[in-house]
Amino acid sequence: MSLRINDSVVWQETAEGVSLYDIDTGAFTTLNATAARIWMLIDSDGEREPIVSKLSQEFAGGNTAVSRRIRADVQDFLGTMIERKLVEEHPA
Amino acid sequence: MNRAIVLGGGFAGVLAAAVLARHADDVILIETDRYPPGPRPRRGLPQSHHNHVLVTGGARALQALLPGTLEALYARGAHRRGLSGGALILAAQGWFRRIDTEAYLVACSRGLLDQVVRERALGGGAVSVWEGAQALGLVGDATRVTGVRAGRVGGPARTFQADLVVDATGRRSKAPRWLAELGAPDVEEAGVTSGLAYSTRVYQAPPELAGGVPAIMIHPGPAQGRPAQGATLFPIEDDRWVVTLTGTRGGEPPADEQGFTRFARCLRHPIVADLMAAATPLGGVRPYRDTANRRRFYERARLPAGFLATGDAVVAVNPVHSHGMSVAALGALRLDRELTRRGFDPSLTPDLQAAVAAEAETSWRMAVRQDGGHAGGADERREASAFERRIRTRLARAALSSPELAADLFHAQTLIQAEARTDTSSRSRALRGEPDPLLSSPEAIAQFPGLHAWWLSRSIPPVTPVRVPVGGEIPRR
Repeated sequence: MSLRINDSVVWQETAEGVSLYDIDTGAFTTLNATAARIWMLIDSDGEREPIVSKLSQEFAGGNTAVSRRIRADVQDFLGTMIERKLVEEHPA
Repeated sequence: MNRAIVLGGGFAGVLAAAVLARHADDVILIETDRYPPGPRPRRGLPQSHHNHVLVTGGARALQALLPGTLEALYARGAHRRGLSGGALILAAQGWFRRIDTEAYLVACSRGLLDQVVRERALGGGAVSVWEGAQALGLVGDATRVTGVRAGRVGGPARTFQADLVVDATGRRSKAPRWLAELGAPDVEEAGVTSGLAYSTRVYQAPPELAGGVPAIMIHPGPAQGRPAQGATLFPIEDDRWVVTLTGTRGGEPPADEQGFTRFARCLRHPIVADLMAAATPLGGVRPYRDTANRRRFYERARLPAGFLATGDAVVAVNPVHSHGMSVAALGALRLDRELTRRGFDPSLTPDLQAAVAAEAETSWRMAVRQDGGHAGGADERREASAFERRIRTRLARAALSSPELAADLFHAQTLIQAEARTDTSSRSRALRGEPDPLLSSPEAIAQFPGLHAWWLSRSIPPVTPVRVPVGGEIPRR
Protein backbone atom coordinates (compact mmCIF):
# COMPACT_ATOMS: atom_id res chain seq x y z
CA MET A 1 0.00 0.00 0.00
CA SER A 2 1.29 3.45 -0.85
CA LEU A 3 0.63 6.66 0.97
CA ARG A 4 0.03 9.95 -0.75
CA ILE A 5 -0.79 13.41 0.46
CA ASN A 6 -4.23 14.32 -0.79
CA ASP A 7 -4.35 16.74 -3.71
CA SER A 8 -6.72 18.91 -1.70
CA VAL A 9 -4.02 19.72 0.85
CA VAL A 10 -1.83 22.79 0.60
CA TRP A 11 1.04 22.59 3.05
CA GLN A 12 4.23 24.24 4.06
CA GLU A 13 7.11 23.58 6.43
CA THR A 14 7.32 26.18 9.13
CA ALA A 15 9.60 26.84 12.09
CA GLU A 16 7.15 24.97 14.32
CA GLY A 17 6.53 21.97 12.07
CA VAL A 18 4.16 21.77 9.13
CA SER A 19 1.05 23.84 8.45
CA LEU A 20 -1.75 22.34 6.38
CA TYR A 21 -4.77 23.81 4.66
CA ASP A 22 -7.48 21.46 3.41
CA ILE A 23 -9.10 23.06 0.39
CA ASP A 24 -12.12 20.75 0.65
CA THR A 25 -13.02 21.67 4.20
CA GLY A 26 -11.32 25.02 4.64
CA ALA A 27 -9.68 23.69 7.81
CA PHE A 28 -6.18 24.61 8.95
CA THR A 29 -4.03 22.10 10.83
CA THR A 30 -0.64 22.56 12.43
CA LEU A 31 1.61 19.55 12.95
CA ASN A 32 4.23 19.64 15.68
CA ALA A 33 7.84 18.72 14.96
CA THR A 34 7.34 14.96 15.42
CA ALA A 35 4.19 14.78 13.33
CA ALA A 36 5.83 17.04 10.77
CA ARG A 37 8.70 14.53 10.43
CA ILE A 38 6.22 11.75 9.66
CA TRP A 39 4.45 14.05 7.22
CA MET A 40 7.70 14.74 5.39
CA LEU A 41 8.38 11.01 5.18
CA ILE A 42 4.93 10.42 3.73
CA ASP A 43 5.83 12.94 1.06
CA SER A 44 9.28 11.46 0.34
CA ASP A 45 8.84 7.72 1.00
CA GLY A 46 5.12 7.12 0.63
CA GLU A 47 4.92 3.79 2.45
CA ARG A 48 4.38 2.75 6.05
CA GLU A 49 7.39 0.48 6.57
CA PRO A 50 10.09 2.89 5.37
CA ILE A 51 8.56 5.61 7.53
CA VAL A 52 8.63 3.42 10.65
CA SER A 53 12.09 2.16 9.81
CA LYS A 54 13.61 5.62 9.34
CA LEU A 55 12.02 6.98 12.51
CA SER A 56 13.24 3.96 14.48
CA GLN A 57 16.76 4.52 13.20
CA GLU A 58 16.58 8.16 14.15
CA PHE A 59 15.01 7.86 17.59
CA ALA A 60 15.00 4.27 18.95
CA GLY A 61 18.74 3.62 19.01
CA GLY A 62 18.12 -0.15 18.88
CA ASN A 63 15.68 -0.13 21.74
CA THR A 64 12.86 -2.48 20.68
CA ALA A 65 10.38 -1.03 23.15
CA VAL A 66 10.89 2.42 21.71
CA SER A 67 10.63 1.01 18.20
CA ARG A 68 7.30 -0.59 19.07
CA ARG A 69 6.10 2.71 20.44
CA ILE A 70 7.22 4.52 17.30
CA ARG A 71 5.39 1.98 15.12
CA ALA A 72 2.20 2.43 17.13
CA ASP A 73 2.45 6.22 17.06
CA VAL A 74 3.03 6.26 13.29
CA GLN A 75 0.04 3.96 12.72
CA ASP A 76 -2.14 6.19 14.92
CA PHE A 77 -1.02 9.30 13.12
CA LEU A 78 -1.54 7.80 9.67
CA GLY A 79 -4.96 6.53 10.72
CA THR A 80 -5.96 10.03 11.77
CA MET A 81 -4.62 11.63 8.60
CA ILE A 82 -6.38 9.06 6.41
CA GLU A 83 -9.61 9.47 8.36
CA ARG A 84 -9.44 13.22 7.86
CA LYS A 85 -8.71 12.63 4.16
CA LEU A 86 -5.47 14.56 4.35
CA VAL A 87 -3.60 11.43 3.29
CA GLU A 88 -4.72 8.71 0.87
CA GLU A 89 -3.61 5.08 0.92
CA HIS A 90 -3.78 3.03 -2.25
CA PRO A 91 -2.61 -0.42 -3.35
CA ALA A 92 0.98 -0.14 -4.50
CA MET B 1 -58.32 34.69 24.77
CA ASN B 2 -54.56 35.09 24.94
CA ARG B 3 -52.46 38.21 24.89
CA ALA B 4 -48.91 39.06 23.88
CA ILE B 5 -47.17 42.30 24.80
CA VAL B 6 -44.15 43.49 22.83
CA LEU B 7 -41.81 45.95 24.51
CA GLY B 8 -40.09 48.27 22.05
CA GLY B 9 -41.52 49.44 18.75
CA GLY B 10 -38.36 49.57 16.68
CA PHE B 11 -37.71 47.34 13.68
CA ALA B 12 -37.48 44.09 15.68
CA GLY B 13 -40.45 44.91 17.90
CA VAL B 14 -42.72 45.84 15.02
CA LEU B 15 -41.89 42.62 13.17
CA ALA B 16 -42.38 40.55 16.33
CA ALA B 17 -45.77 42.20 16.91
CA ALA B 18 -46.81 41.54 13.32
CA VAL B 19 -45.87 37.88 13.71
CA LEU B 20 -47.61 37.49 17.05
CA ALA B 21 -50.79 39.03 15.64
CA ARG B 22 -51.07 35.90 13.49
CA HIS B 23 -50.97 33.60 16.49
CA ALA B 24 -52.36 35.47 19.52
CA ASP B 25 -55.81 36.96 20.06
CA ASP B 26 -54.57 40.28 21.36
CA VAL B 27 -51.21 41.95 20.73
CA ILE B 28 -50.05 45.19 22.33
CA LEU B 29 -46.92 47.04 21.26
CA ILE B 30 -45.44 49.46 23.81
CA GLU B 31 -43.12 52.13 22.46
CA THR B 32 -41.57 54.96 24.45
CA ASP B 33 -41.30 57.31 21.47
CA ARG B 34 -43.95 58.87 19.31
CA TYR B 35 -43.54 57.69 15.74
CA PRO B 36 -42.65 60.51 13.34
CA PRO B 37 -45.32 61.31 10.75
CA GLY B 38 -42.98 60.71 7.82
CA PRO B 39 -39.80 58.83 6.93
CA ARG B 40 -37.73 60.69 9.48
CA PRO B 41 -35.33 59.65 12.24
CA ARG B 42 -36.93 58.75 15.54
CA ARG B 43 -35.90 60.64 18.66
CA GLY B 44 -35.14 57.54 20.68
CA LEU B 45 -33.08 55.96 17.93
CA PRO B 46 -29.91 58.04 17.67
CA GLN B 47 -28.34 55.62 15.22
CA SER B 48 -31.16 56.24 12.76
CA HIS B 49 -29.12 59.09 11.26
CA HIS B 50 -26.47 56.60 10.20
CA ASN B 51 -26.54 54.20 7.31
CA HIS B 52 -28.76 51.16 7.57
CA VAL B 53 -28.90 48.50 4.92
CA LEU B 54 -30.73 45.24 4.63
CA VAL B 55 -28.57 42.41 3.37
CA THR B 56 -29.92 39.61 1.22
CA GLY B 57 -30.85 37.19 4.01
CA GLY B 58 -32.71 39.89 5.90
CA ALA B 59 -34.35 41.31 2.80
CA ARG B 60 -35.66 37.88 1.86
CA ALA B 61 -36.93 37.30 5.39
CA LEU B 62 -38.68 40.67 5.42
CA GLN B 63 -40.28 39.92 2.08
CA ALA B 64 -41.46 36.53 3.34
CA LEU B 65 -42.95 38.12 6.47
CA LEU B 66 -44.51 41.11 4.77
CA PRO B 67 -44.79 40.41 1.03
CA GLY B 68 -44.40 43.46 -1.14
CA THR B 69 -42.26 45.37 1.33
CA LEU B 70 -39.19 45.45 -0.89
CA GLU B 71 -41.26 46.70 -3.83
CA ALA B 72 -42.72 49.39 -1.58
CA LEU B 73 -39.23 50.43 -0.51
CA TYR B 74 -37.96 50.59 -4.07
CA ALA B 75 -41.04 52.62 -5.08
CA ARG B 76 -40.19 55.11 -2.35
CA GLY B 77 -36.59 55.45 -3.51
CA ALA B 78 -34.62 52.69 -1.81
CA HIS B 79 -31.78 51.27 -3.89
CA ARG B 80 -30.76 47.70 -4.45
CA ARG B 81 -27.08 47.18 -5.15
CA GLY B 82 -25.61 43.82 -6.09
CA LEU B 83 -22.43 42.56 -4.50
CA SER B 84 -20.20 43.11 -6.25
CA GLY B 85 -22.15 43.83 -9.44
CA GLY B 86 -23.54 47.10 -8.15
CA ALA B 87 -20.76 48.07 -5.82
CA LEU B 88 -17.35 49.66 -6.24
CA ILE B 89 -15.31 47.96 -3.54
CA LEU B 90 -11.68 48.50 -2.64
CA ALA B 91 -10.91 45.56 -0.36
CA ALA B 92 -7.65 45.09 1.51
CA GLN B 93 -6.17 43.18 -1.44
CA GLY B 94 -7.46 45.41 -4.24
CA TRP B 95 -10.51 46.42 -6.24
CA PHE B 96 -13.32 43.94 -6.84
CA ARG B 97 -14.43 43.23 -10.36
CA ARG B 98 -18.17 43.48 -11.01
CA ILE B 99 -19.57 40.01 -10.38
CA ASP B 100 -23.18 38.91 -10.08
CA THR B 101 -23.32 36.73 -6.99
CA GLU B 102 -27.06 37.04 -6.17
CA ALA B 103 -26.01 38.77 -2.95
CA TYR B 104 -27.18 42.34 -2.59
CA LEU B 105 -28.00 45.07 -0.15
CA VAL B 106 -30.97 47.41 0.07
CA ALA B 107 -30.05 50.96 1.01
CA CYS B 108 -32.40 53.66 2.22
CA SER B 109 -32.73 55.87 5.26
CA ARG B 110 -33.65 54.16 8.50
CA GLY B 111 -36.64 56.50 8.73
CA LEU B 112 -38.02 55.29 5.40
CA LEU B 113 -37.43 51.65 6.19
CA ASP B 114 -39.12 51.91 9.57
CA GLN B 115 -42.08 53.79 8.18
CA VAL B 116 -42.69 51.37 5.30
CA VAL B 117 -42.36 48.37 7.61
CA ARG B 118 -44.64 49.95 10.24
CA GLU B 119 -47.29 50.69 7.61
CA ARG B 120 -47.28 47.15 6.37
CA ALA B 121 -46.85 45.41 9.72
CA LEU B 122 -49.21 47.46 11.84
CA GLY B 123 -51.54 48.97 9.25
CA GLY B 124 -54.09 46.19 9.48
CA GLY B 125 -55.04 47.14 13.03
CA ALA B 126 -54.35 43.71 14.50
CA VAL B 127 -51.79 45.24 16.87
CA SER B 128 -52.65 47.86 19.50
CA VAL B 129 -49.81 50.37 19.52
CA TRP B 130 -49.18 52.42 22.64
CA GLU B 131 -46.87 55.25 21.75
CA GLY B 132 -45.39 57.39 24.49
CA ALA B 133 -45.61 54.53 26.96
CA GLN B 134 -42.91 52.61 28.68
CA ALA B 135 -42.49 49.35 30.52
CA LEU B 136 -41.15 49.59 34.05
CA GLY B 137 -40.82 45.94 34.94
CA LEU B 138 -42.07 42.41 34.51
CA VAL B 139 -44.82 40.76 36.56
CA GLY B 140 -44.78 37.13 37.67
CA ASP B 141 -42.28 34.93 39.43
CA ALA B 142 -39.22 32.84 38.69
CA THR B 143 -41.28 30.27 36.82
CA ARG B 144 -43.72 32.38 34.86
CA VAL B 145 -43.95 35.92 33.51
CA THR B 146 -47.58 36.97 33.62
CA GLY B 147 -47.42 40.55 32.44
CA VAL B 148 -45.72 43.91 32.60
CA ARG B 149 -45.92 47.09 34.61
CA ALA B 150 -46.24 49.97 32.19
CA GLY B 151 -47.65 53.42 31.86
CA ARG B 152 -47.47 56.67 29.98
CA VAL B 153 -43.99 58.21 30.11
CA GLY B 154 -43.89 60.15 33.39
CA GLY B 155 -47.28 58.82 34.45
CA PRO B 156 -48.38 56.15 36.93
CA ALA B 157 -47.72 52.50 36.10
CA ARG B 158 -50.40 49.81 35.82
CA THR B 159 -50.11 46.08 35.53
CA PHE B 160 -51.08 44.53 32.24
CA GLN B 161 -51.57 40.78 32.15
CA ALA B 162 -50.06 38.87 29.26
CA ASP B 163 -49.44 35.26 28.32
CA LEU B 164 -46.27 36.23 26.49
CA VAL B 165 -43.99 39.25 26.95
CA VAL B 166 -41.46 39.92 24.20
CA ASP B 167 -38.52 42.20 24.91
CA ALA B 168 -37.43 44.09 21.81
CA THR B 169 -35.99 47.14 23.55
CA GLY B 170 -32.59 46.82 21.98
CA ARG B 171 -29.03 47.10 23.25
CA ARG B 172 -30.01 48.93 26.41
CA SER B 173 -32.68 46.45 27.45
CA LYS B 174 -33.43 46.30 31.17
CA ALA B 175 -34.94 42.83 30.93
CA PRO B 176 -32.04 41.00 32.65
CA ARG B 177 -32.55 43.18 35.73
CA TRP B 178 -36.32 42.80 35.60
CA LEU B 179 -35.98 39.02 35.36
CA ALA B 180 -33.60 39.02 38.33
CA GLU B 181 -36.19 40.95 40.32
CA LEU B 182 -38.58 38.04 39.73
CA GLY B 183 -36.00 35.63 41.10
CA ALA B 184 -34.84 34.32 37.73
CA PRO B 185 -31.16 33.41 37.30
CA ASP B 186 -28.69 35.84 35.81
CA VAL B 187 -28.48 36.01 32.05
CA GLU B 188 -24.97 35.34 30.80
CA GLU B 189 -23.64 38.19 28.72
CA ALA B 190 -20.69 38.51 26.35
CA GLY B 191 -19.20 41.66 24.94
CA VAL B 192 -16.48 42.20 22.39
CA THR B 193 -15.31 45.74 21.86
CA SER B 194 -14.82 46.48 18.21
CA GLY B 195 -12.70 49.56 18.83
CA LEU B 196 -14.47 51.08 15.86
CA ALA B 197 -15.89 54.56 15.68
CA TYR B 198 -17.78 56.08 12.82
CA SER B 199 -19.05 59.41 11.63
CA THR B 200 -21.82 59.94 9.14
CA ARG B 201 -23.04 62.76 6.94
CA VAL B 202 -25.86 62.85 4.44
CA TYR B 203 -25.44 64.59 1.08
CA GLN B 204 -27.64 65.66 -1.80
CA ALA B 205 -26.24 64.05 -4.92
CA PRO B 206 -25.28 66.34 -7.81
CA PRO B 207 -27.80 66.18 -10.67
CA GLU B 208 -25.37 64.48 -13.05
CA LEU B 209 -25.02 61.56 -10.63
CA ALA B 210 -28.58 61.52 -9.33
CA GLY B 211 -29.42 58.65 -11.67
CA GLY B 212 -27.50 56.33 -9.44
CA VAL B 213 -24.03 55.59 -8.27
CA PRO B 214 -22.85 52.18 -7.15
CA ALA B 215 -22.54 51.49 -3.47
CA ILE B 216 -18.96 52.42 -2.66
CA MET B 217 -16.85 50.75 -0.02
CA ILE B 218 -13.25 51.65 0.76
CA HIS B 219 -11.94 49.04 3.19
CA PRO B 220 -8.89 49.43 5.38
CA GLY B 221 -5.63 48.31 3.83
CA PRO B 222 -3.64 45.27 4.93
CA ALA B 223 -1.16 47.26 7.04
CA GLN B 224 -0.69 45.69 10.48
CA GLY B 225 -0.47 47.74 13.64
CA ARG B 226 -2.03 50.88 12.23
CA PRO B 227 -5.59 52.10 12.73
CA ALA B 228 -7.96 50.61 10.18
CA GLN B 229 -9.77 53.37 8.31
CA GLY B 230 -12.43 53.12 5.67
CA ALA B 231 -15.54 54.63 4.16
CA THR B 232 -18.85 53.72 2.60
CA LEU B 233 -21.17 55.69 0.39
CA PHE B 234 -24.66 54.35 -0.15
CA PRO B 235 -27.31 55.95 -2.34
CA ILE B 236 -30.61 56.39 -0.52
CA GLU B 237 -34.00 57.85 -1.41
CA ASP B 238 -34.48 61.38 -2.74
CA ASP B 239 -31.17 61.36 -4.59
CA ARG B 240 -29.21 61.48 -1.37
CA TRP B 241 -26.06 59.72 -0.29
CA VAL B 242 -25.19 58.61 3.18
CA VAL B 243 -21.43 58.69 3.73
CA THR B 244 -19.95 56.88 6.69
CA LEU B 245 -16.29 57.06 7.67
CA THR B 246 -14.89 54.45 10.02
CA GLY B 247 -11.73 54.16 12.04
CA THR B 248 -10.32 52.08 14.85
CA ARG B 249 -8.54 53.35 17.97
CA GLY B 250 -6.13 56.14 17.23
CA GLY B 251 -7.68 56.66 13.82
CA GLU B 252 -11.26 57.60 14.61
CA PRO B 253 -13.04 59.76 12.06
CA PRO B 254 -13.59 63.32 13.26
CA ALA B 255 -17.04 64.74 13.88
CA ASP B 256 -16.25 68.22 12.57
CA GLU B 257 -16.81 69.16 8.95
CA GLN B 258 -13.22 69.94 7.99
CA GLY B 259 -11.86 66.90 9.75
CA PHE B 260 -14.50 64.70 8.13
CA THR B 261 -13.52 65.93 4.68
CA ARG B 262 -9.80 65.61 5.38
CA PHE B 263 -10.24 62.05 6.70
CA ALA B 264 -12.05 60.97 3.52
CA ARG B 265 -9.35 62.57 1.38
CA CYS B 266 -6.61 60.61 3.13
CA LEU B 267 -8.10 57.16 2.61
CA ARG B 268 -6.54 54.62 0.27
CA HIS B 269 -8.52 56.09 -2.60
CA PRO B 270 -10.21 59.50 -2.67
CA ILE B 271 -13.30 58.53 -4.68
CA VAL B 272 -15.59 59.07 -1.67
CA ALA B 273 -13.95 62.43 -0.96
CA ASP B 274 -14.32 63.38 -4.63
CA LEU B 275 -18.02 62.55 -4.56
CA MET B 276 -18.49 64.42 -1.27
CA ALA B 277 -16.87 67.48 -2.81
CA ALA B 278 -19.33 67.40 -5.69
CA ALA B 279 -22.38 66.95 -3.46
CA THR B 280 -24.24 69.24 -1.09
CA PRO B 281 -24.10 68.41 2.62
CA LEU B 282 -27.47 68.04 4.32
CA GLY B 283 -26.92 68.69 8.01
CA GLY B 284 -23.85 68.13 10.09
CA VAL B 285 -21.52 65.25 10.82
CA ARG B 286 -22.87 62.76 13.34
CA PRO B 287 -20.47 60.54 15.30
CA TYR B 288 -21.36 57.12 16.65
CA ARG B 289 -19.31 55.15 19.09
CA ASP B 290 -21.57 52.42 20.53
CA THR B 291 -20.19 49.73 18.26
CA ALA B 292 -19.37 46.93 20.70
CA ASN B 293 -20.65 43.44 19.92
CA ARG B 294 -22.94 42.36 22.73
CA ARG B 295 -24.88 39.17 23.31
CA ARG B 296 -27.21 38.03 26.05
CA PHE B 297 -27.42 34.26 26.19
CA TYR B 298 -31.07 34.03 27.23
CA GLU B 299 -31.24 30.58 25.70
CA ARG B 300 -28.70 29.28 28.22
CA ALA B 301 -30.61 30.49 31.30
CA ARG B 302 -33.53 28.75 32.97
CA LEU B 303 -35.90 31.64 32.50
CA PRO B 304 -39.57 31.98 33.42
CA ALA B 305 -42.03 30.75 30.82
CA GLY B 306 -43.87 33.49 28.99
CA PHE B 307 -40.80 35.64 28.33
CA LEU B 308 -38.93 36.00 25.06
CA ALA B 309 -36.25 38.44 23.89
CA THR B 310 -35.49 39.32 20.30
CA GLY B 311 -33.51 41.70 18.10
CA ASP B 312 -30.64 43.74 19.51
CA ALA B 313 -31.80 42.88 23.03
CA VAL B 314 -30.36 39.42 22.31
CA VAL B 315 -27.52 39.98 19.85
CA ALA B 316 -26.24 43.38 18.79
CA VAL B 317 -23.21 43.27 16.54
CA ASN B 318 -20.91 46.05 15.44
CA PRO B 319 -23.07 48.09 13.02
CA VAL B 320 -20.30 48.07 10.45
CA HIS B 321 -21.41 44.54 9.56
CA SER B 322 -24.88 45.83 8.61
CA HIS B 323 -26.55 42.80 10.15
CA GLY B 324 -28.79 44.24 12.86
CA MET B 325 -32.03 44.65 10.95
CA SER B 326 -31.45 41.57 8.86
CA VAL B 327 -30.93 39.37 11.91
CA ALA B 328 -34.09 40.87 13.42
CA ALA B 329 -36.04 39.97 10.28
CA LEU B 330 -34.60 36.46 10.22
CA GLY B 331 -35.51 36.05 13.91
CA ALA B 332 -39.06 37.22 13.30
CA LEU B 333 -39.48 34.85 10.39
CA ARG B 334 -38.19 31.98 12.51
CA LEU B 335 -40.55 32.96 15.32
CA ASP B 336 -43.45 32.86 12.89
CA ARG B 337 -42.47 29.40 11.68
CA GLU B 338 -42.02 28.08 15.21
CA LEU B 339 -45.39 29.44 16.34
CA THR B 340 -47.04 27.99 13.26
CA ARG B 341 -45.50 24.60 13.97
CA ARG B 342 -45.93 24.55 17.75
CA GLY B 343 -48.89 26.81 18.34
CA PHE B 344 -49.11 29.75 20.74
CA ASP B 345 -47.96 28.10 23.96
CA PRO B 346 -46.08 30.31 26.45
CA SER B 347 -44.57 27.24 28.11
CA LEU B 348 -42.52 26.75 24.94
CA THR B 349 -40.67 30.03 25.21
CA PRO B 350 -37.31 28.33 25.95
CA ASP B 351 -37.59 26.61 22.57
CA LEU B 352 -38.63 29.83 20.89
CA GLN B 353 -35.72 31.64 22.52
CA ALA B 354 -33.28 29.02 21.29
CA ALA B 355 -34.70 29.33 17.77
CA VAL B 356 -34.39 33.13 17.77
CA ALA B 357 -30.83 32.89 19.11
CA ALA B 358 -29.93 30.37 16.41
CA GLU B 359 -30.88 32.87 13.73
CA ALA B 360 -28.36 35.33 15.19
CA GLU B 361 -25.56 32.82 15.60
CA THR B 362 -23.93 33.25 12.19
CA SER B 363 -23.87 37.02 12.48
CA TRP B 364 -22.52 36.91 16.03
CA ARG B 365 -19.70 34.54 15.19
CA MET B 366 -18.74 36.43 12.07
CA ALA B 367 -18.71 39.77 13.87
CA VAL B 368 -16.71 38.74 16.91
CA ARG B 369 -14.25 36.78 14.79
CA GLN B 370 -13.55 39.85 12.70
CA ASP B 371 -13.39 42.08 15.76
CA GLY B 372 -10.90 39.82 17.49
CA GLY B 373 -13.05 38.33 20.23
CA HIS B 374 -14.44 35.02 21.40
CA ALA B 375 -17.81 33.82 20.18
CA GLY B 376 -18.58 32.25 23.53
CA GLY B 377 -18.54 28.72 22.23
CA ALA B 378 -16.07 25.88 22.23
CA ASP B 379 -13.96 27.09 19.34
CA GLU B 380 -12.08 29.84 21.12
CA ARG B 381 -10.17 32.13 18.84
CA ARG B 382 -6.44 31.74 18.45
CA GLU B 383 -3.95 33.91 16.67
CA ALA B 384 -3.68 33.07 12.98
CA SER B 385 -0.29 31.76 11.91
CA ALA B 386 1.71 33.34 9.12
CA PHE B 387 0.73 30.36 6.94
CA GLU B 388 -2.95 30.94 7.65
CA ARG B 389 -2.65 34.62 6.91
CA ARG B 390 -0.93 33.86 3.63
CA ILE B 391 -3.63 31.39 2.58
CA ARG B 392 -6.41 33.77 3.56
CA THR B 393 -4.71 36.61 1.73
CA ARG B 394 -4.43 34.52 -1.42
CA LEU B 395 -8.08 33.50 -1.22
CA ALA B 396 -9.17 37.07 -0.55
CA ARG B 397 -7.11 38.27 -3.50
CA ALA B 398 -8.64 35.60 -5.73
CA ALA B 399 -12.16 36.54 -4.59
CA LEU B 400 -11.69 39.92 -6.25
CA SER B 401 -12.17 38.28 -9.62
CA SER B 402 -13.45 34.73 -9.00
CA PRO B 403 -17.24 34.39 -9.29
CA GLU B 404 -17.23 31.33 -7.03
CA LEU B 405 -15.07 32.79 -4.29
CA ALA B 406 -16.82 36.15 -4.46
CA ALA B 407 -20.15 34.33 -4.08
CA ASP B 408 -18.83 32.48 -1.04
CA LEU B 409 -17.72 35.73 0.52
CA PHE B 410 -20.81 37.81 -0.20
CA HIS B 411 -23.26 35.02 0.56
CA ALA B 412 -21.73 34.75 4.01
CA GLN B 413 -21.66 38.50 4.53
CA THR B 414 -25.28 38.89 3.48
CA LEU B 415 -26.55 35.99 5.61
CA ILE B 416 -27.76 33.83 2.75
CA GLN B 417 -28.32 30.46 4.26
CA ALA B 418 -27.67 28.37 1.17
CA GLU B 419 -24.42 26.47 1.43
CA ALA B 420 -22.18 28.09 -1.16
CA ARG B 421 -18.91 26.32 -0.55
CA THR B 422 -19.37 23.52 -3.02
CA ASP B 423 -16.81 24.32 -5.65
CA THR B 424 -13.38 23.62 -4.24
CA SER B 425 -11.66 23.83 -7.61
CA SER B 426 -11.79 27.62 -7.50
CA ARG B 427 -9.98 27.61 -4.16
CA SER B 428 -7.44 25.21 -5.53
CA ARG B 429 -6.82 27.46 -8.54
CA ALA B 430 -6.54 30.46 -6.25
CA LEU B 431 -3.82 28.82 -4.18
CA ARG B 432 -1.87 27.07 -6.92
CA GLY B 433 -2.29 29.25 -9.99
CA GLU B 434 -1.20 32.73 -10.86
CA PRO B 435 -3.64 35.32 -9.54
CA ASP B 436 -5.61 37.44 -11.98
CA PRO B 437 -4.09 40.88 -12.44
CA LEU B 438 -5.36 43.52 -10.06
CA LEU B 439 -7.54 46.28 -11.42
CA SER B 440 -6.03 49.73 -11.32
CA SER B 441 -8.21 52.43 -9.80
CA PRO B 442 -9.22 53.84 -13.23
CA GLU B 443 -10.05 50.35 -14.41
CA ALA B 444 -12.15 49.71 -11.32
CA ILE B 445 -14.07 52.96 -11.69
CA ALA B 446 -14.47 52.37 -15.42
CA GLN B 447 -16.60 49.36 -14.58
CA PHE B 448 -19.36 51.88 -13.79
CA PRO B 449 -19.72 54.01 -16.93
CA GLY B 450 -21.81 56.80 -15.39
CA LEU B 451 -19.47 57.25 -12.47
CA HIS B 452 -16.45 56.93 -14.72
CA ALA B 453 -17.66 59.61 -17.13
CA TRP B 454 -18.21 61.98 -14.21
CA TRP B 455 -14.85 61.10 -12.70
CA LEU B 456 -13.01 61.82 -15.98
CA SER B 457 -14.89 65.07 -16.50
CA ARG B 458 -13.66 66.64 -13.30
CA SER B 459 -11.00 69.31 -13.49
CA ILE B 460 -8.98 67.54 -10.80
CA PRO B 461 -6.34 65.26 -12.37
CA PRO B 462 -6.86 61.55 -11.67
CA VAL B 463 -4.86 60.14 -8.82
CA THR B 464 -2.04 57.67 -9.24
CA PRO B 465 -3.47 54.19 -9.83
CA VAL B 466 -3.63 52.02 -6.74
CA ARG B 467 -2.42 48.47 -7.16
CA VAL B 468 -2.13 46.82 -3.83
CA PRO B 469 0.71 44.30 -3.75
CA VAL B 470 -0.10 41.07 -2.02
CA GLY B 471 2.77 39.49 -0.18
CA GLY B 472 3.44 35.87 0.57
CA GLU B 473 5.05 33.14 -1.40
CA ILE B 474 2.97 30.38 -2.90
CA PRO B 475 2.72 27.44 -0.52
CA ARG B 476 3.93 24.04 -1.61
CA ARG B 477 1.72 21.76 -3.65
